[in-house]
Amino acid sequence: MSGQSFRLVSGGLVDRDRALNFSFDGKPYRGFAGDTLASALLANGVRLVGRSFKYHRPRGVLSAGPEEPNALVELRSGARREPNTRATVTELFDGLDAASQNRWPSLVFDLLSLNGLVSPALVAGFYYKTFMWPAAFWEKLYEPLIRRAAGLGRAAGLEDPDHYEKAFAFCDLLVIGGGPAGLAAALAAGRSGARVILCDEDFCLGGRLLAEKREIDGKPAAEWLAATLAELENLPEVRIMSRTTVFGLYDHGIYGAVERVGDHLPEPAPHQPRQRGWRIHARRAILAAGALERPIVFPGNDVPGVMLAGAARTYVNRYGVLPGRETVLFTAGDDGWATARDIAAAGGKVAAIVDARGEADPARKALADKLGARLFAGGVIEGTRGGRQLDGVTIRDASGATMALACDLLAVSNGWNPTLHLTSHQNGKAVWDEALQCFVPGTLPAGLAVAGSAAGHFTLGQALEDGARLGGEAAAEAGLKPAAAGPVPMTDPEATALQPIWRVKGAKGKAFVDYQNDVTDKDVELAAREGFRPVEHLKRYTTLGMATDQGKTSNLSGLAIMAEQTGKTIPQTGTTTFRPPYTPVAIGALAGHHRGKEFRPVRLAPTHDWSKEQGAVFVEAGQWLRAQYYPKPGENDWLTTVNREVQAVRAGVGLCDVSTLGKIDIQGADAAEFLERVYINGWKALPVGKARYGLMLREDGFVMDDGTTSRLGDSHFLMTTTTANAGKVMQHLEFCHQVLWPELDIRMVSVSEQWAQVAVAGPRARETLRAVVDPAHDISNEAFPYLAARAVTVGGGIPARLFRISFSGELAYELAVAADHGDAMMRALMRAGQPFGITPYGTEALGVMRIEKGHVAGNELNGQTTPRDLGLGKMMSAKKDYLGRLMAGRQALIEKDRPSFVGFRPVDPTQRLRAGAHFIGIGKADIMENDEGYMTSVAYSPHLNHWMGLGLIKGGAARIGERVRAYDPVRNGDIVVEICSPVFVDPEGARLHG
Amino acid sequence: MAEIATVSTAVSWAPRGAWAGIAQPGSFGATGGAGVLATLLDGFGLATLIAAPGAAPALSRIVEARLGIALPQAPKIASGQAHDAIWAGPDQWLLRAASRDGFAGLLAELAPHGAVSDQSDARAAVRLSGPRVRDLLAKGVMLDLHPAAFAVGDVALTSIAHVGVQIWRLADGPDGSVFEILVPRSMAGSFWAWFTASAAEFGCAVTAAPVAGPR
Amino acid sequence: MRITCPHCGARDAQEFTYLGAADLKRPDGMAATEAAMTDYVYQRENPAGTHRELWYHGAGCHAWLVVTRDTRNHAIAAVEAAKSRKTGAAA
Repeated sequence: MSGQSFRLVSGGLVDRDRALNFSFDGKPYRGFAGDTLASALLANGVRLVGRSFKYHRPRGVLSAGPEEPNALVELRSGARREPNTRATVTELFDGLDAASQNRWPSLVFDLLSLNGLVSPALVAGFYYKTFMWPAAFWEKLYEPLIRRAAGLGRAAGLEDPDHYEKAFAFCDLLVIGGGPAGLAAALAAGRSGARVILCDEDFCLGGRLLAEKREIDGKPAAEWLAATLAELENLPEVRIMSRTTVFGLYDHGIYGAVERVGDHLPEPAPHQPRQRGWRIHARRAILAAGALERPIVFPGNDVPGVMLAGAARTYVNRYGVLPGRETVLFTAGDDGWATARDIAAAGGKVAAIVDARGEADPARKALADKLGARLFAGGVIEGTRGGRQLDGVTIRDASGATMALACDLLAVSNGWNPTLHLTSHQNGKAVWDEALQCFVPGTLPAGLAVAGSAAGHFTLGQALEDGARLGGEAAAEAGLKPAAAGPVPMTDPEATALQPIWRVKGAKGKAFVDYQNDVTDKDVELAAREGFRPVEHLKRYTTLGMATDQGKTSNLSGLAIMAEQTGKTIPQTGTTTFRPPYTPVAIGALAGHHRGKEFRPVRLAPTHDWSKEQGAVFVEAGQWLRAQYYPKPGENDWLTTVNREVQAVRAGVGLCDVSTLGKIDIQGADAAEFLERVYINGWKALPVGKARYGLMLREDGFVMDDGTTSRLGDSHFLMTTTTANAGKVMQHLEFCHQVLWPELDIRMVSVSEQWAQVAVAGPRARETLRAVVDPAHDISNEAFPYLAARAVTVGGGIPARLFRISFSGELAYELAVAADHGDAMMRALMRAGQPFGITPYGTEALGVMRIEKGHVAGNELNGQTTPRDLGLGKMMSAKKDYLGRLMAGRQALIEKDRPSFVGFRPVDPTQRLRAGAHFIGIGKADIMENDEGYMTSVAYSPHLNHWMGLGLIKGGAARIGERVRAYDPVRNGDIVVEICSPVFVDPEGARLHG
Repeated sequence: MAEIATVSTAVSWAPRGAWAGIAQPGSFGATGGAGVLATLLDGFGLATLIAAPGAAPALSRIVEARLGIALPQAPKIASGQAHDAIWAGPDQWLLRAASRDGFAGLLAELAPHGAVSDQSDARAAVRLSGPRVRDLLAKGVMLDLHPAAFAVGDVALTSIAHVGVQIWRLADGPDGSVFEILVPRSMAGSFWAWFTASAAEFGCAVTAAPVAGPR
Repeated sequence: MRITCPHCGARDAQEFTYLGAADLKRPDGMAATEAAMTDYVYQRENPAGTHRELWYHGAGCHAWLVVTRDTRNHAIAAVEAAKSRKTGAAA
């Protein structure tokens, strides 16, 4: 194992007593606690960390933060493998395992780098131009080829083994960014008692203070930082969240954040999530996210060893790593000089300082001399040497003369862009500041203020001043008395003069604007020539600003070059509208707990455990799990089971849970009037103690739901709805009451959860119930006729409700008890029905029997059918107004040949019917014009011993006896069926009344 | 058809509460002191009361005369000796009794004065406390439960993990703040799955109170 | 988004269901015409600006609310219960 040959002997914030082992592309290395993967790789002299997206060019670490476009790796392995992880923000842990991506067969020897040789074919827009023809080749040939050659990392392809969470927080002030401005803001607000949340994406708070050698109040900034953090931690209403990125700003003071709870560990700690997605509600927020440094576009600016000057400083000062032994600085302003100074102070050699500005002032000359660096005032870098690692640069001095200079680090300084992304998440447009030569926040979203560098206030003194002032204002906004504000701390002087250069012209070689997408200055020129000049077109044509970094280091250069091409200014050319998320967010953090079987809540009936005990197979019905069928040992085919269940009901008795039906208690003086208005049929005449089938429409005339409603008292009804529509119907009824007819006295509440309800069906149903219902209640046919609905007691005084209603066409009842007694009710009925062979049946058998009886259900109540379509037109009252009345009577809905409801049977009884098959006249072509309707429901009838179907066909009942094709091309079905009555079993209804 | 003689069913009609088969006493998650304490509540009486238009004050007076608690006009809980009146929407309340003894009679008494619907079996109920109870609830409740924002006696109808809930804060106990949550019975299992996943990092002790008694 | 329910207080928009325009009057009764009903069911304004609209607080108190919202920026100017509204056109 090679040592950390680029690690300084002392200095930095890493813990040299805690060495951590890690591997990159299978090779073992060692770093320290407090390192990022990038700093640890640099400490070990690893410069080449990845290959570029399109040309497979060698790439190294460009930055030291979230903007990194190059150093993307696959982190971890197996199911936890995560592609496109930025090495610059990946906290090192013991056992970390990372691999480079987008190379084949290896990072050092990448065959696909040949893409660079054919690069003229790969310029902007090449996908659109090259792979146009033939169209069929795109899916089969071009796309797979391109996907192999161009791309980023590989997804794990396995289920994520970790747990994720969502969480909600509320505060007076959210501070985004824990640098000097954010800390000062949190302190000012926190001291006055405000509820403050301070988020920072880093694992250490301090922001640039961690990376700079600065003084506050005459002492090293680290002392101020430590004291500030200590005070904040002691304020009870201040919550500090490190490793937490605020990624989005939403309406009404809502912020999205992701907390990386376990990303810095090999695996999350026991009982801990990997990440937690936060939704933070903030009365006020201060964006103190700092700034991102800008590269310069010049040929060869992507060789590993070209690095942002501020990042180089971070590696020296924070991580104790010298990013190169021999440095050349290429700067457009004063800030870059700090890098030269800090590198020299750390013992590194500064070979040259290339300051693109004209004649240097004496102070700069003196500093260059002191650092032992050659100074090229007014010079530029016009090329680099080196393949996998920088060997040297070509300098063009102010006179135009060029010279080569050996170096292994080129630090580039071109000023900073405020990290204003969140200010534009609600369409806020950034504005160009000519003096600062950068975009600064424009109109701000309500409740948001910006402090420090994020506002373009680049000095430390301004950051501290902004933070203290805005933090105090936020506290006052929350109605708190501001704490006595001490003087803003004094800072050492700093120079910020800048004359940015957007690119070095007149030299050969690829000059990259967008590293991550391999977009060069020539691509931007091409886009300009071909007319893709608006920024949105530029982005889509060249891919500039796309992918995981969203152009954090490239957007402005791209705009500047387009401005130059079109002879406009930068603000005339456009701005970037940033959208959430600020940095990539794992889907898991957004889903939280809700994945797999916890995707949404599952509802279980009070009889669920009993059904499970009976061996039920369950099916999802709305949110519910319902017993679908109850296979017995030896039954290997669901149809066998279902046939047995159906036959048992028709021959003896069966029971089926119906607790899942929606149940709405409707009371009030106007309850009957209300039902008149929401149902198509009449309700005022329904006697107490009786149930009636009801059908309700949407206002547009189509059927919404059906069910039985029972009158429990003069002004008291119990409505049932279908399982799937229960919530929707409740919402609809609330609408009718509160919005349409608030003057009615209606009081409604869902009682679906209160009752366990079971259908007891079959010729022996009454005998079975007789043994369960207390003897005081007469349930004889005379005393308890069809559609009776009354309170009874069971099990010696337990309140229950009994309804004589039937979906199966058999003598049938529904018995309801309070849910706590549901389990016992099932056991009591099973015992009572034992002599009659009582059989539990599920939704499948229920479906078979309702099709045998021609009852409509969800397949027919599909939102496209009117009562007339379903043969229920006679139910529509002509004497009263009700919802949907007028619209259901529209001409097109009452046309004679509108498809309406009938039954179908196969002419050859051995043939199987298929739901979804379309009807076509015999001898007619299978084209849309000949479509006459479709099959809605099918089942095998063990009673008839053949398949039967329900469906909608033009002309409907008038065509009974006619034959048509049931055409089902998807499943190669094309059979002849006969149109028949939808009632297949017991058309006289004798069984029902038995 | 002639009546059939009654057959003895010999089946126990013992009630099975909403938590049966879902949650049981014990502990789970991190060890070393429970950050969250959960008490499973059962055997209480619960009913929805809805006042007729304009009749809320009259209904409140009747309840107050009978039980000593007025019906709160805002999202609050009013607690008496053995009953709570819990706001459940405009002109709507849940009346909770510590025991079901006599509850049916009470509901019958109230029925002429408002719409009364028994909901005793319709909800699973749990009482939560412990030093980390707010950190736990923050993972599901989209409301500010800070002591200053959600005071003792405050009630909210909201949702946790897509499950509609009713939550309120009781007087502080020995472990600090105390919350109670009602969950639709059918979703108790999904709620409990969220709860166990969310409370595990704090460590959780679960006990069962046979009856939602006086606190 | 946050909507301040007049009964429950400020809540996240995900507790609510959106319906649409609030100030439509249903042509009630047997005398209503098909044309009037067609307008009621299908005709809608689509303003860029202030919009009075119905939201249902389904995860809360089950109240239907009339929310006055600026469709351009989601700024909410007023919320009232539909049942007890003082302005607007419903019956």
